[in-house]
Amino acid sequence: MTLSGLALRNLARNKFRVFLTALGVGIAIVAFLLLRTVIWAWASGAEFAAKDRVVTRHKVTFVMSLPKRYVDDVRNAPHVKTATWASWFGAKDPKHDREFFATLAVDPATYFTVYDEMKVPPDAMDTWKHDKQGAIVGDVLARKMGWKVGDKIILQSGIYPGDWQLNVDGIYEASARSVDRSTLLFHWDYVNDALPPQRRDNVGWIVSRVDEPGHVADIGVGLDKLFEDRDTPTLSQDERSFNASFLAMFSSILTAMDVMSAVILAIMMLILGNTIAMGVRERTGEYGVLRAIGFFPRHITLWIVGESLATGLLGGVLGLLLAWPLINLGFSRFVEENMGGFFPYFRLETANMVLGLVLAALLGAAASALPAWRASKIRVVDAVRRVA
Amino acid sequence: MIPFNYSLRSLAVRKATTIASASGIALVVFVLASSMMLNAGIKKTMATSGKPDNAIVLRMGSDAELGSVIDESSVPLILAAPGVKADEHGQPLGVAEIVVVGAMEKLGAKGVTNVTIRGVTDRVMQFRPEVHIVDGRPPRPGTDEAIVGARIRGRIRGVDLDQSFDIKKNRPVKVVGVFEAEGSAYESEVWVDRDLLRQAYGRQGIVSSVRVRLESPAKFDAFRAGVENDKRLGLQALRESVFYEKQSEGAALFVGALGTVVSVFFAVGAMIGAMITMYGAVANRQREIGTLRALGFSRTSILTAFLLEAVLLAVVGGVVGAVASMSMALVHPSMVNPASWSEIVFSFDPTPRVLLTAILFAGGMGLLGGLFPAARAARTSPLKAIRA
Repeated sequence: MTLSGLALRNLARNKFRVFLTALGVGIAIVAFLLLRTVIWAWASGAEFAAKDRVVTRHKVTFVMSLPKRYVDDVRNAPHVKTATWASWFGAKDPKHDREFFATLAVDPATYFTVYDEMKVPPDAMDTWKHDKQGAIVGDVLARKMGWKVGDKIILQSGIYPGDWQLNVDGIYEASARSVDRSTLLFHWDYVNDALPPQRRDNVGWIVSRVDEPGHVADIGVGLDKLFEDRDTPTLSQDERSFNASFLAMFSSILTAMDVMSAVILAIMMLILGNTIAMGVRERTGEYGVLRAIGFFPRHITLWIVGESLATGLLGGVLGLLLAWPLINLGFSRFVEENMGGFFPYFRLETANMVLGLVLAALLGAAASALPAWRASKIRVVDAVRRVA
Repeated sequence: MIPFNYSLRSLAVRKATTIASASGIALVVFVLASSMMLNAGIKKTMATSGKPDNAIVLRMGSDAELGSVIDESSVPLILAAPGVKADEHGQPLGVAEIVVVGAMEKLGAKGVTNVTIRGVTDRVMQFRPEVHIVDGRPPRPGTDEAIVGARIRGRIRGVDLDQSFDIKKNRPVKVVGVFEAEGSAYESEVWVDRDLLRQAYGRQGIVSSVRVRLESPAKFDAFRAGVENDKRLGLQALRESVFYEKQSEGAALFVGALGTVVSVFFAVGAMIGAMITMYGAVANRQREIGTLRALGFSRTSILTAFLLEAVLLAVVGGVVGAVASMSMALVHPSMVNPASWSEIVFSFDPTPRVLLTAILFAGGMGLLGGLFPAARAARTSPLKAIRA
C-alpha cells in the first residue's frame, strides 16, 4: 500500500461523514457556480461585442436624439464602411403590460447588414422591407408572447402616443451570444411619418461598422470631432466600451456577487476543515503509533492533506453534477426568456466548471492545513497516551 | 430532564469545531441579513418618496416620469380636476415638472452614470415641505443654479456644493445647495430650474409629470376619474405611493430573488456543516449517552438535550452574523434603478424585524441540522454504549 493509497483508504472509514461533507462542499460549489454564471453572463455582453462597431449617441444623455442628417455625415466619414440608426420606441403590449421587451424603430435597408449576427430568413426579410407596418421579433420573445409570423399586434408607447399596429413578418435568431433575442424591430419611417413636423427626423443613435477594428477608439474620436461644433455634440464608443460602461452602472451588484462568491468558499472551507479536524482528533492515537514505528511528521501531513484534497474534489464533482442540469436545463430558459436584455446567454461555462473543481480541491487542501500542522507537531508519547 | 448546562458546556468543551460550525452559520446569516436589509432599504427609500395624499399624473402607458410626455396645455386641466387641494392663496397645490437623465462622470469608479435631473418651479418647496436645505442656500429662481440631493453629492463629478457641471455644452450650472428629503429617492436627484432644463434638453411646451396634493387620500378616485375621463388627453393618474412602489419593484425583486436563492444554497451548506459537527459529537459521546440512559434519562430528554445543543450552536452563529451585518448600515451602495435607468443611492436598513428573522432562521438551521444526529443519540442502547 502506498502512502497516498492510505490517505484514500482513510476516506472510507466514516463513509457517512465523508458523504455529508462532500454534499456540503457540493452545495457550496453549486452556489458558487451559479454566482459565477450570473457574473459571467452579465459580462459576456461586453466580452462578445463586435469589435468593429461604433455606437454614436447624444453626448449629454440618452433621452435626447440626434438629427437624422448626422447619419449621412457618419457614412461619409473615413474608415466607416456602413452605418445605420435606431430609435428607442419603449412600447408594451397593452394585453401583457408587465412584460418588458426592447422595441426599436430601425432603418430596414441597413439595420441587419450592420447587425449581421441577427439572422432573418431571406423571404421574411423581403416581406418586411416592403411592409411599412412590419416587425421582426426575436425568437425568445416570439415564444414568450406566443407570436407567429403573420400575426397582427397592437403596441402602445409612453413616448409616442396612440395605438401602433404591427404585422409580425419574421423572426430573427442569433448567431452570437451577445445578441438579445427578445427585441422587436420595426420601420423607423412608420413612427417618423406619424409625428408632428417639429419632432420628425430624429434618431436615437447611429451605429457604424468600420474597416479597421484595431483603431476603433480613434475612429470614434474622429466621429465626435465632426459634430463637436454643431448644436448636438456626440459621444461615440466602440460596442465593447459601450457595453462595459452600461455594465459599470451596476458595478455595486457585481461587487456584492463577488463578495458572496468569496463568502461561500469560506463556508466551504469551514465545513471541510471541521470534518478533517474531527477525523484527526479521533485518530490522534493512530498517528502516534505510526510515528512510533518510524513514519515522519511529513507523512502524517501528507495523509491529512491528501484526504482533505480528495474530499474537496469529491464534493467538487458532486457540485458539478448538480449544477450542470440546474443551470443549463433549469435556470437558463427562465433567465433567457425573462431577463434576456441582461443575460442573452445564460449557461454554465467550461472555464467556470474547471475553476469550481480546482477551487474545491485546492481549498480542500488548504482547509486541512491547521489540523495537519497540529497533528504533525504532536509528540509521540502524548499522542499514544491521549484518549480520544 | 438533562440540565441546560450540559448542552452549553458540551459546546464549550469542543471549542474548535463549535467555532467552525458557528462561523459557517454566521456567514450565512450575514449574507441573508444584508440582503434583507438592502431590500428593506430600497422599500423604505421608495415608501418615503410617496405621500398618501399626493397623486401623480403621467402619460398613459408610462411607468416612469422619464418616458412620460404631457402637453403643457393639459396642466391647467389637471390642476382643475376635482379633489385638488388649494393653498392659502386659493391656488391649486400642484407641480408640473420635467425629468431627464444626464450622463455624468462617476467619481471613484470608471465611466459615466445616469443621473436624474428634475426641472422644478419656484413652488417646489411649497409642494414638498419635507425637503430642506442642509448645506448652502436655496437657488434663486430663473438662474443657472442647482441644488442636489444629500445622497448623490460627492459621487458625481461637479455635483457637490460650490462646484459646477455642464447641463449642456458650455452651459455650466452651479450647485448652491444640498437638500435632504427624509431619505427619499429625491435625495439621489439634481434639481435645476425648469426653464433652464427645457432649453438645454429641447423640452419646450411639455412636462414629464404633474403632481397634486389631494384634499384627502379618499379624494383620489374622484381626481382620477376627472383626469382619465378625457380620453383625448391620454393621461393616467396614480397614487404617489403606488407609483413609487412600482418604481422599486424591479430593483427590489432582483435583490430579493438573488438574496433568497443565494441564502437558501448557503443555508443548506452551513446546515450540513452543523450536522457533521453534531454527528461527530454524538459519536464521540456514545459512552456518555449510554450512561445517561442507564441513569434513567428518557430518550426524549436526550433528544431535547442534543437538539438544544444544535440550536444553541446555530443561534450563537446567527447572533454573530446578525451583529456583523449591522455594519453594512455604514455602506451606501448606489445602483441603477431599472425603472428609470438612473443612479439611485440606497441604504441598508437594519430593522428589528430583519435581525429577528435572521436569528430565527439560524435557529431553524440548527434545529434541522441537529434533528438526525439527536435522533441517533436518542436511539442509543445503554447496554451497547457502555460496553463499547
